[in-house]
Amino acid sequence: MTAGGPAAEPAVRTRGLTKRFRSGQVAVDHIDLVVPRGAVYGFLGPNGSGKTTTIRMLLGLVSPTAGSVELLGSSMPGGGPVVLPRVGALVEGPAFHPYLSARANLERLDAVDATASPQSRPGRIDAALERVGLTAAAAKKYRQYSLGMKQRLGLAAALLRPRDLLLLDEPTNGLDPQGTREVRALVRELADGGATVLVSSHLLSEIEQVCSHVGIMSRGELLAQGTRAEIAETGTTEVRVMTRPDQRAHVARVLTGLGLEDVRVDGEVVAAPLGGTAVEKVAQAVVGDGVDLLGLEVRRPTLEDVFVRLTGEGFDVDR
Amino acid sequence: MAPTGTVRVPSDVVLSLVSGTLGHSGPMDTTRSLSPRVRWAVPAVAAGAVAAAFLVPAAVGAVASDDLPAVTADELVDRVANAEKVPVSGTVVYTARLGLPDVTVSELQGAGPLDLLGGSTTMRVWSDGEDASRAALLGDVSEYSVVRSGPEAWTYSSADDEAVHYVVDPADLERYEALADEAAEPSVEGDVPTPSEAADLALAQARIYTDITTTDPVEVAGRSAYQVELRPQTDGTLVDRIRVAVDAETSVVLRTQVWSVQDTEDPALEVGFTDVSFDAPDPSVFDFSPPAGAEVREVEVPLPEPGTMEKPGSEALGEDAGFAVSGTGWETVVEVSDVDVEEILGATAEGRLPEGSTGSSGADDLLEEFTDAEEGELPGIPELDTQALYDQLTTPVDGGRLLTSALLSVLVTDDGRVLAGAVPPATLEELAG
Amino acid sequence: MSIVDTPVPVAPAAPARATARLLRSELRLVFGRVRNLVLLAGLAAVPLLIGTVLFVTQSTPVAGQGPPFLDRVTGNGVFLVFAALVSCLPFLLPLCVAIVSGDAIAGEASTGTLRYLLVVPVPRTRLLLAKAVAALAFAGAAVVAIAVVGLAAGAAYFGVGDVVLLSGDTIPLAAGMLRTLGVVGYVIASLTGLVAVGLFLSTLTEVPVAAMASTVVVAIVSGVLDALPQLSAIHPGLLTHHWLDFGEFLRLEVDASTLLAGLAVQGAWVAIFGALAWSRFTTADVSS
Repeated sequence: MTAGGPAAEPAVRTRGLTKRFRSGQVAVDHIDLVVPRGAVYGFLGPNGSGKTTTIRMLLGLVSPTAGSVELLGSSMPGGGPVVLPRVGALVEGPAFHPYLSARANLERLDAVDATASPQSRPGRIDAALERVGLTAAAAKKYRQYSLGMKQRLGLAAALLRPRDLLLLDEPTNGLDPQGTREVRALVRELADGGATVLVSSHLLSEIEQVCSHVGIMSRGELLAQGTRAEIAETGTTEVRVMTRPDQRAHVARVLTGLGLEDVRVDGEVVAAPLGGTAVEKVAQAVVGDGVDLLGLEVRRPTLEDVFVRLTGEGFDVDR
Repeated sequence: MAPTGTVRVPSDVVLSLVSGTLGHSGPMDTTRSLSPRVRWAVPAVAAGAVAAAFLVPAAVGAVASDDLPAVTADELVDRVANAEKVPVSGTVVYTARLGLPDVTVSELQGAGPLDLLGGSTTMRVWSDGEDASRAALLGDVSEYSVVRSGPEAWTYSSADDEAVHYVVDPADLERYEALADEAAEPSVEGDVPTPSEAADLALAQARIYTDITTTDPVEVAGRSAYQVELRPQTDGTLVDRIRVAVDAETSVVLRTQVWSVQDTEDPALEVGFTDVSFDAPDPSVFDFSPPAGAEVREVEVPLPEPGTMEKPGSEALGEDAGFAVSGTGWETVVEVSDVDVEEILGATAEGRLPEGSTGSSGADDLLEEFTDAEEGELPGIPELDTQALYDQLTTPVDGGRLLTSALLSVLVTDDGRVLAGAVPPATLEELAG
Repeated sequence: MSIVDTPVPVAPAAPARATARLLRSELRLVFGRVRNLVLLAGLAAVPLLIGTVLFVTQSTPVAGQGPPFLDRVTGNGVFLVFAALVSCLPFLLPLCVAIVSGDAIAGEASTGTLRYLLVVPVPRTRLLLAKAVAALAFAGAAVVAIAVVGLAAGAAYFGVGDVVLLSGDTIPLAAGMLRTLGVVGYVIASLTGLVAVGLFLSTLTEVPVAAMASTVVVAIVSGVLDALPQLSAIHPGLLTHHWLDFGEFLRLEVDASTLLAGLAVQGAWVAIFGALAWSRFTTADVSS
C-alpha cells in the first residue's frame, strides 16, 4: 500500500451524503458509503438510483447538499489536488474530443495533470492502450470509435497512471460479452495489485463474480452494504421439500405445523423460509408424518435474491 | 456596471481568492472550501470596485477647490481681458443641447464642423499663444483639422481627403503685417470654437446689460479655476446665464457654459478643456502641408475693413447695405436682406459628380437611375444633402421658414431676408412684420 | 503488471509550470482544431478580398467610396490593414471571439471532457484562466492574421509608402509601421472584454452554440446601443464604444489618455465578467 494508507482507513467513506437538485428532487439521500481498502466494491442499483450522482460527489464534480466525503483519507472536494491523482475514474461513460485521435486525447489528459511526469508520458500511454487492447487503434480519431472502443479508451484514461483507487461507473456498458469478461479480468488484476476498485452497475450479473463487497442503491438510498457474504446472509434460507404431487398440500400443513411461516407450493416443491428451525427437524417431521420424501434441499440465499428483493425485478428505472 | 449594494467579505476570504485566482499557490483546499455565497460576492465586489473607479474621479473632479484667494467679478473680467497670451494645448469637449433636430452625420461623413450642431464633440487644440494655432475635431477614425499660422490657414478633412488653403488677399498682406499684433485672423470657414473664444463673445457683452457675479471656484481639467457668472438683465433673450471658468494661475478660460431660459439645469452649450497643458507645443504642429494626393482648394480672404473689425452683435457694427441691426445688448437682432437661400443651397450641392465621369453620359444616367441618387450626387455613401438639411432644421412659418434652438433663432423670410438673434422666435417674426 | 509497485508521485509540479503546461495544451487544442483554422483563414481572406476588389475597381467611378481608409488603400497599401480591421470589427472579429470563448467551457461540457479534466485534477480556477488566455490568443491571432495579410496584400497590389495621418500630416513609413503595431495591439486589447463575456456565458450552458450566439448578440447589441444618441450617457461604458479608438494611433499626437480610457473600459468588463465567470464556474455542479 502507499504511504499513509493504513488499512484501517477506508478508501471511500461518506457520511450522510445527500444531493438535492434545484428541482427539489433528492437524488442521493443520506448515504454512508464505506469502501474498505483493497476491496472490489460492487455499487449496484437500477438506472437512476443515484449511483452516478454519488460518484460525481465522491470526485468533487457535484457539491453535496449535505454530508461529507473522504477519499483515501482526504476530505473532498478540498483534498482533490492531493488525492485525485491517485484516483482513476470513469464517470457516466467515456468522453473525449471527437476530432482528436485516441493517443492525442490521452496525451491531452496527461499533459494537464500537474503531477504527471512528461518524460514517462509516451510509455505510460502505450501501456494503458495496451492494457485495454487499443494499441492498434491508437491513431484513429475518437469519432470513428465504436461504443465498445470508446469504453475501453475511457478505461485506458483511468489507468494512465498507477492508481490506489478506481471509481468505474458502468464500465461494461456497451461492451460485448467478451469485452465484459475482459473488464472483469482487469478489475481482478487491479485488485490483485492492491488497488481498491468501486464498480457500479445496474446488472448484478456483470460484476457479481469479481466483487468482494456490495452496496445496493435504490431511489437515492443505500439499502444494504457489506461483504458479499454479509449481504447474502440478509436474505432468507429456504427449505424445499420434494414429494409426489398429491402429498404437497400435506407437506405444507406439516411445515406450518412446525411453525414455519410463508409456506408456499412452488412448482414441484413446497418451500418455506427456514427461520430458526433446524433442517433435521423438518426432515423428521415430514418423514414421520408418512410423506414420501423424494428430496429435501436447504437453499442458501444468493446475492441476486437480495438484489431483486431490494430493488425489484424488471427493467423499471428508479426515476 | 451598476454599483451594487453593500457586500461584506471577510478579508481572509479576499486573500485566499487572490492566491487562488492569481497565484495558484494555495491548495485547492482554500478555494474550494469557500461557500458559494462568498464566491458570488466576488463579482459584486468587482462591480463595486469598477463603479468606484469610474464614478469617484468624476465626483472628485466636481468638488470645488476653495483655497484660492478671493477676487471680485470685475477683477476677474479684467484679468481675462488683459491676460497675457500663453501657449495652450489640450483636449476640449464641446457639448451642444440646442434642441435642434438630430443631424449627426459624422458616422457617415467623418468628423466635420456640422458635428457642432448637436451632441458632444471632442477636439484637440494647440496654440502657441501668438499667431499659430491648430484645432482638430475628432471623429471615429476621422478628423477635421484647422491649422492657422500667421496670415495663412489650412483646413483638412480626413473623410474626403480635401484640404483648403486660406491666405490673406495679397493686396491686404501689407496691412495684415501691420495689424498682426491686433490678432487679425483670416476667417476660416467651419471655424471651431474654443473655450476662450466663446468666453470672449460673452465678455464683450459683459459690462453692459449684464449682472456679473463670481461663484464658487471649481476644478476644470485638473486645474483650479475661478468662476464668473453673467446674467442678462433683460428677459427678452434666450440666454439665461453664462458661466466662465478662468484658470487661477494663467487666467486662461478653461470652460464656458451657456444656459438657455428653456432649461436652466443642463447648459445648452458647454465648451471646456478636459485636459490642458500650458507648455509650448512642438512648432511642427502648426506646420501643415497637404498630403500627397489630397484635393487642395485655394481661397483668398480679403482682410476686413477697419470699420468692421468688431464682432457682430456689438452696437458698433455699421449699417452696410442690406445689413441692419436692431435691439441692443442681449436682444440684438441682425437682419440681412436680399439673400437667395435657394441659390446658396444649390451652390453647395453642385459639382459633386462632374458630367461624364464614367466616360459615357448613358452610363452616368444609368448609374443615377440605379442608385436613386439625386442629380449630381455620387452613389454609395450618402452625401450631405444641403437642401434636406435645411428642410430638416427649419420649420415653415407664416411668411418664411424658422430655425429655433435653445440659444438662437433664425428667420428666413420668403422675400429674402434673414433675421437672427439670441431672442425668442416671436421677436423675429414681429420684426420681420 | 501491478499498479502499486510504483509509488504514486503526488508532489505536483510548481503552479506556474503546471499552468504553463495546461496553457500549452489549451493552445494546441484551440489552434489544432480545423474549425478554428478555417475561421482564421476566413478572417485573413478579408483584406485579400478588399485588396483585390480595390485593385480591380481602382480606375472606375466607384473607387474611393466606402468605409474609412478604403479610399486611401490604392495610394498606400498600409491602409489596407486599417480598412480590413474597420471592416472586421463590427461583426467578424466579435464572431471569432464568440466562437472560441463561447466554446471554452460549454464545449468541454457538451463533449463531457470537462468532468475528466476536473478529476485529473485540474483546478477550476486554473482551467478557466487557461481557457481565457487561449481564447484571447486566438482572437489576437485573428487580428494579427488580418494585419499581416493586409500588409502583404496591400504592398503587393499598391505598394507602401509614407503614411498620411488623419490630421493630414505625413509621417515616414517606419513610424507608420510602429503605429500600425500600436493599432493591432489596441484592437487585440479591445477584444478582452468580449472574451470575458463569452467565457461567462460559456459557463452558463452545456450548449456551446448557445454561448457563442449570445456572445455575438452581446457585441451587436452593444453596437446598436452605441448608435442611439438617446443613450449617450451610457455610451462611454459600452463594450464596443471604444473599439474604433485605435484611430488615435493615426492622429498627429497619440493621446495616451484616450487609449487608456478605452482599455480601462475593457478592464472593467474583464473584471466584472471574469469574476462572474469565476464564481459561476467554481460553484457550478458539473453534471454533463
